[in-house]
Amino acid sequence: MNARFDVIVIGAGHNGLAAAEALAKRGKSVCVVEQSDAVGGMACDRLAHLLYNPAPSGVETREIDTVSLSPEGAHVLIRRGEARFTSGKPHPDAAAYQTLYRRLVRYAGLLHQLAEAPPPGLEQGVTSLAGLRELSRLAKLGVGVKRLGKAEMREFLRILLTNAYDLLLDEMPDGPLPGALAADAVRGAFSGPRSPGTVLSLMYRLRHGGGVFLPAGGMGAVAGAYAEGARRAGAEVRCGLGVTRVIVEGDKVAGVLLSDGGRLDASAVLSSVGPMQTMRMAGIAEFDIEAVRRARKLRAKGSTAKLNLRLGGVPEFTGLSAAQVKARLLVAPSVAGVERSFNPAKYGDLPKQPVLEMVLTDGTGPSTLSVIAGHVPETSWTTDRRESFTASVVETIERFAPGFGSLVEEADLLTPEDISAMTGAPGGHWHHAEMGLDQMLTTRPTVGMARYRFGVAGLYLCGASAHPGGDVTGAPGRNSAAQVLADGVA
Amino acid sequence: MMDGRIETRDVAAVPVGLIETPVFSRLDQISTAKQWGNWAGYISPLVLDTMEFEYFAIRNQSTLLDVSPMHKYRVTGPDAETMLNRMVTRDLRKVAPGRVAYAMWCDEEGMVIDDGTLFRFAENDFRLCCQESMHGWLLDAAWGFDVEVIDESHSVAGLSLQGPTSFSVLQAAGLGAAGSLKPFDLVKLEPDLWVSRTGFTGDLGYELWVPWDRLTKLWDRLWAQRAPWGMRAIGTHALDMVRIEAGFVAAKVDFQPVLTASRLGRGRTPIELGFERLVHFDKGHFNGRRALLKQRDTGPRYNLVRLDIGGFKPAQDALIYHRKRREVGHVTSGIWSPTAKRNIALAELRAPFGGEKTDDLWAEVYVNEEGRWDKRLVPVTVQTKPFFRNDRARATPPRAF
Ligand SMILES: Cc1cc2nc3c(=O)[nH]c(=O)nc-3n(C[C@H](O)[C@H](O)[C@H](O)COP(=O)(O)OP(=O)(O)OC[C@H]3O[C@@H](n4cnc5c(N)ncnc54)[C@H](O)[C@@H]3O)c2cc1C
Repeated sequence: MNARFDVIVIGAGHNGLAAAEALAKRGKSVCVVEQSDAVGGMACDRLAHLLYNPAPSGVETREIDTVSLSPEGAHVLIRRGEARFTSGKPHPDAAAYQTLYRRLVRYAGLLHQLAEAPPPGLEQGVTSLAGLRELSRLAKLGVGVKRLGKAEMREFLRILLTNAYDLLLDEMPDGPLPGALAADAVRGAFSGPRSPGTVLSLMYRLRHGGGVFLPAGGMGAVAGAYAEGARRAGAEVRCGLGVTRVIVEGDKVAGVLLSDGGRLDASAVLSSVGPMQTMRMAGIAEFDIEAVRRARKLRAKGSTAKLNLRLGGVPEFTGLSAAQVKARLLVAPSVAGVERSFNPAKYGDLPKQPVLEMVLTDGTGPSTLSVIAGHVPETSWTTDRRESFTASVVETIERFAPGFGSLVEEADLLTPEDISAMTGAPGGHWHHAEMGLDQMLTTRPTVGMARYRFGVAGLYLCGASAHPGGDVTGAPGRNSAAQVLADGVA
Repeated sequence: MMDGRIETRDVAAVPVGLIETPVFSRLDQISTAKQWGNWAGYISPLVLDTMEFEYFAIRNQSTLLDVSPMHKYRVTGPDAETMLNRMVTRDLRKVAPGRVAYAMWCDEEGMVIDDGTLFRFAENDFRLCCQESMHGWLLDAAWGFDVEVIDESHSVAGLSLQGPTSFSVLQAAGLGAAGSLKPFDLVKLEPDLWVSRTGFTGDLGYELWVPWDRLTKLWDRLWAQRAPWGMRAIGTHALDMVRIEAGFVAAKVDFQPVLTASRLGRGRTPIELGFERLVHFDKGHFNGRRALLKQRDTGPRYNLVRLDIGGFKPAQDALIYHRKRREVGHVTSGIWSPTAKRNIALAELRAPFGGEKTDDLWAEVYVNEEGRWDKRLVPVTVQTKPFFRNDRARATPPRAF
């Protein structure tokens, strides 16, 4: 007899765990199977470092400021909509920035309700109860947009599909202040601020109000809280065991095969890996040709690297107080600069002036600077290339913090290739699938998969590739669980 | 020129206009009608002499048609059966090597992409013959499977030899071994020559397949035997008459291949085209299965049916009415059948018409009486059997005529 569960979740990334918790809370027996020895997936100390949204219960967070570094030393201190120079002097564009920022957060709030549930869809038509419910959700968004007033509504619709470059530079001169928003718009993405859809991705990131939070104990603690939540609700979490195959019988999911040769039975399987990997596990022949083609063509070109620099002492940044050094530090000196850093990525080359997000983490000890570098190539990371990239990041920081290089005791570089090998994330991509206009909302990750299910009955996506996408939010996992419950398959 | 510009005339020339098949010169010599058409980019005869002569030759003697323009794809490899079985609606596991199967394949919504014949040469070796270009689709369908897909459209040629005396012609040409072929059998009779007992006429007939450069030789070999058996070369117009009699559907005529239709809702499912018997739900997943299962439960939106139409006037394109008032469909192919001596048609009716509801149906035909148009409503009856049936089509060995 094989062990039997109502639901099996492939991968104990935070989304898999969030899904498991939601299902277990509704009385389902759930087993989460994780190939690596630790829970959390990409939400671990070596990779993710900040939250843009509420943390799971049990994790303390601290909201921190953002400092956008200026090569001329005119660093900007930002918290939500407020901006001034780190010296305390007022910033000449503070008012314009505040107006724009508040507007974006207000608009982003409208998207929030769309993100917290499966994307709207009228596939059932409006003759059923479910269809009517969908219609009312869409209507609510409509009402929300209407409530903005006529002028604002027009503005919302005008900017929704435009690019961050135009939006920002229409409002203020270029520099570290708009540069910070430009960097936030494209972080994790294979896009530059001039790419279409970057206003939408910026708003997505601001949908919880725009605060930036440092979790106490680091991202590992966040992952631990997700796991604890799942276990407390009654889910079983097994690490060190990969799923090798999803068993399909009569067009329905029947269970999974494990890397140790074992088998678990279940009537629903939720997968936190990408659509293509999931299809391969279930067998390509079980899916329609078009669905396979769309999964094949999914854009998931990883472009974000992580560099953990262990330091022999606390770095000093010219013009920053000791407290300001503990802010989120950005190297995004201008919107144009962020765009330029993206150019080489199009040809698989390294950025000449990398855009960085840095934070002195609590999790890995106060002497570690956690650096996220954007716009790096996905593959072809030779030893040479790794070394020269690490050197160029350190050099970039050195420009703002003289003597920084000599503090570095160890550099732990994780390229998209490494991240993919570690977590199985497609292309090592932050969001498992690019957050492009064509791969969002009802077409996330692609046409026909927005309901978390695809093809085989009982098979669901629950990871970052599903709506609403990546970041440590747990939303895709929770939404997927809600869909499983609504479908009544488990 | 040294300025980097490219002159159009320096670019390798792409052939302009229709291409000749290997036997074009033969056809051109015979042709008195000089009516040529475009079949998948090739010059193909619509009529060589007169359509009537050619039609009666199919039904009473034998005929030769160059079917080389057909699209042909070879699918080989360990996963060939699995891959094709996931693509087509019928169960290919039941099609043994040495057999040919008529098959349809659908998009993910269950709408027919095309129909065609699948030749199974060996366990892992198939050829798909069809009307639409299918290379891209096959490559998509093959992704993830251990198979090789080769476009043989321009390397394999074929002749269709059809009619009651067709076997006699084969025998006279030294190919009497084809006598043991049952309908839909396939055999290699000589190196580079495969013969199948297949065709589009509903009658006794064979298709012969050779490498492109050997077609002329094959043509001459058969043509030399034509006299005692009354064999004629024909064009596609006559073929269209007999395929309607046999009840075969034609792509772009009786249904719109869904990948080429740009308007929404133009696709039709195999069930709607009357081919539910070729949809094998119990074989595992195949493209469009989930959508087709739904339709099996909810019922088709349309029914493609055979109609016997009152009067003599061919009812091509006629609208069909229920109780003479409500428009419920239209004729997709309609002819006067000289063999059945009936006015016959294929028509698409909106469900439930043609399904549960078959009575009180009328066709609206227009008659031009020397410049004066008259509109007539003629009664129609739905037929379940093909209009042409003759047991000589199935007799094995074929009878001599
Ligand atoms: C460098 C980097 C920095 C980031 N920083 C931040 C940040 O600061 N803030 C933020 O909000 N977001 C950040 N992100 C994004 C965020 O980490 C991800 O979007 C999120 O963690 C994805 O979670 P997930 O659960 O969907 O998938 P994952 O975390 O990728 O989890 C998938 C899990 O499935 C497991 N798995 C895969 N295949 C199998 C199998 N066959 N059997 C069993 N288990 C399997 C994997 O081991 C993994 O644990 C960052 C991403 C990157 C790449």
